[in-house]
Amino acid sequence: MDQVFAVIALTLRTIPNRIWMSAAAVLSVALVVGVLLFFLAMGDGFRRTLSGTGSDDIAMILRSGAGAELNSNISRDQVRLVEEAPGVARDADGAPQVSAELYVIVDGIKRATLTEANLPLRGVGPMAQAVRGPLTITQGRMFESGTNEIVVGASVLREFSGFDIDQEIRLGTANWTVVGVFESGGSVYESELWADATVIQNLYQRGTSFQSVRARLTSPDAIGELEAYNDAEPRLQLEVDSEKEFFANQGGAMQPMIIVGWTLGIIMSIGALAGAWNTMYSSVDSRTRELATLRALGFSGLSAFMGALTESLFLAAVGGVLGALGAYVLFDGLSASTLGASFTQVVFTFELSPSLVLTGVVLALIVGLFGGFFPALRAANTPLLAVHQG
Amino acid sequence: MTDFGLIRHNLFRKTLRTILMLVAIMIAFLVYGLLGSFDKLWNSGEDLAAADRLITVNRINFTVSMPYAYINRVRALEGVKNATWANWFGGYYQEGRNQIQTFAVDPETYLEAYPELLLPDDQRADFLNDRSSIIVGEPIANQFGWELGQTIPLKSNIFSNVDGGDTWQFRIAGIFTGEEAQTQTNYAVFHWENFNESITFGQDLIGWMIINTTSPDVNDQVATSVDEQFANSSAETETSTEAAFSKAFIAQIGNISLMVRSIMAAGFLTILMIVGTTMVMTIRERTKEIAVLKTIGFAPARIFRLVVGETLLLVVIGGVIGLGFSWLFVKGLGASMEAFLPGYVMTWDVALAAVAIMIGLGLVTGFFPAFNAMRTNIAEAMGKE
Repeated sequence: MDQVFAVIALTLRTIPNRIWMSAAAVLSVALVVGVLLFFLAMGDGFRRTLSGTGSDDIAMILRSGAGAELNSNISRDQVRLVEEAPGVARDADGAPQVSAELYVIVDGIKRATLTEANLPLRGVGPMAQAVRGPLTITQGRMFESGTNEIVVGASVLREFSGFDIDQEIRLGTANWTVVGVFESGGSVYESELWADATVIQNLYQRGTSFQSVRARLTSPDAIGELEAYNDAEPRLQLEVDSEKEFFANQGGAMQPMIIVGWTLGIIMSIGALAGAWNTMYSSVDSRTRELATLRALGFSGLSAFMGALTESLFLAAVGGVLGALGAYVLFDGLSASTLGASFTQVVFTFELSPSLVLTGVVLALIVGLFGGFFPALRAANTPLLAVHQG
Repeated sequence: MTDFGLIRHNLFRKTLRTILMLVAIMIAFLVYGLLGSFDKLWNSGEDLAAADRLITVNRINFTVSMPYAYINRVRALEGVKNATWANWFGGYYQEGRNQIQTFAVDPETYLEAYPELLLPDDQRADFLNDRSSIIVGEPIANQFGWELGQTIPLKSNIFSNVDGGDTWQFRIAGIFTGEEAQTQTNYAVFHWENFNESITFGQDLIGWMIINTTSPDVNDQVATSVDEQFANSSAETETSTEAAFSKAFIAQIGNISLMVRSIMAAGFLTILMIVGTTMVMTIRERTKEIAVLKTIGFAPARIFRLVVGETLLLVVIGGVIGLGFSWLFVKGLGASMEAFLPGYVMTWDVALAAVAIMIGLGLVTGFFPAFNAMRTNIAEAMGKE
């Protein structure tokens, strides 16, 4: 055992002699890990934003077949029927906690690219906050009903220009004043602009119709009662989902990106593996005489094997950690936005969780293990006579 | 022995080392081929946009419609050769996840606006004559196994049919293809008149207008006069060139090109490091030989050429193999994912750019070892053990 540690220590101490080749191996592993973590952090961040939005004691009601709020249409009468439905919670005053909302698209200017992008403008009524998780106004105040005032989500403020408080903005043919900024625990709602539903009905010629209805349920199980009522009532026949399920389905939209990330990660790992192998091959090659001397002194083949393998694993680990560190500095918390299911921007932040970092380092170690294995075998089998080679 | 023979022998002297470097190079070019073809496709909307085509959308947002009456006012403007329109139908087939981009259009003027859509004459005539027919792009027909003459039910996730329900029946009058591999054909178009008469709300509204100008030179002037026409109305417009519109649209999804190009650069940086350092070391091992070559009269420039040539040959062999593999992969993926990534092919310019990169990379990585070799001092090198 002492032999093994002695050779490992000796091998690692001589890395500076092969600094450039070693640096090449480290860098190639670091780049592979960085690329993989980029995709994984993006997929995770997006999924977290969407799954963080839904709650299972809120029912989300759309026109059957609409799939997204943008496509849906619900009449005032249908909203009334939902308000009387079984399973719907009521507040202290006995009013049903049901929020009928409108969803229209307006243009915002993305700060990153200075190009126009679709932003959702949501028309809400007094019950909007009652059917959502914690939603707080962090700056300014809530809009006043019946006025051209809007409040904007914190993500909108971050990613799009022109939505600062007290700013007057023109959306379509109307001017609006930003009076407040809200946060809701990093959910999708933070990517939205909110205004009074009746004002939007007028400006967008929607009459008295809405697009979606959210209802707080007395319990998560009460959704069954609501569904039964919806199916039995010929005037409804709407699509009822729990809000959690509705957004979780949309979170899967990034799945292809995760597949792309792994595919690229694995393909590029093969390149890095060839690089690591090459480095280790050269390392063993340049130490042939040293290894033969050790063998002559009575060190076992195992110790030579372990020395070379450890060097490879060490270089790969350094690469993996560097790649993860680089990914952390460059990507973690990076704010980005993309088109979501409703054809509007969803702002999300990259999340590099410890488990992702671990995934990256494990991939690096696998590269190191395979890259070092054959050169290490070679080191173990160095013939004693090699000591005489020129 | 010729110089090339010398280079070839030197390159394969340490077979394993050479193979490992080749694998690393191959992987970098494989990744380049896959991503480069994707990048090309991703930006094809902008690249393939007709220079004389303008898109007019509602100023609020392109998803908001405008009055049908606008089209005639646009047609009357100077510099407008053809103007047509389209509506988003929100179509899907059988299940919500089988979304099909479906537009309601004015058939004759729409096909005139998009000459790159290829449709046999008889199918074209059939489509124009039958108001209940539809034409679909080839990738969609392949995806669902549709054939000419077949009647298909399409559902809308937005509109309801006056007949009740949200389903429309269409007879497939034609299957269109694109002039270029990347021409987008994964959509379907049907008669706007049919649409307008059968929807329960939103009649006499159009989604957007497509304008062909008499010449790209008058684009700006036409765009301005269109938007001026509708200024201060309830539906103001915003007109831009098709290229600008495509660019803005794909920018909504994110800066994919930057991402793709960064990854390709990461791949090339890796091989630059691996091959560069390995070659420096290889040449150092051969110092003595190089001194011998110099002694027998090889000029420094020739030695420089030999080493650069060796690196170049290495990179080109690995690169060509990698590019070949990526061509196969792209072909396979393009065929199996036609419905999601139509037009995913490796074009000549992507392949030629790869060859240029190979040469550049070979020269850059070969420079330092070659420079070292060229400056080898005979007396010193011979003295080395």
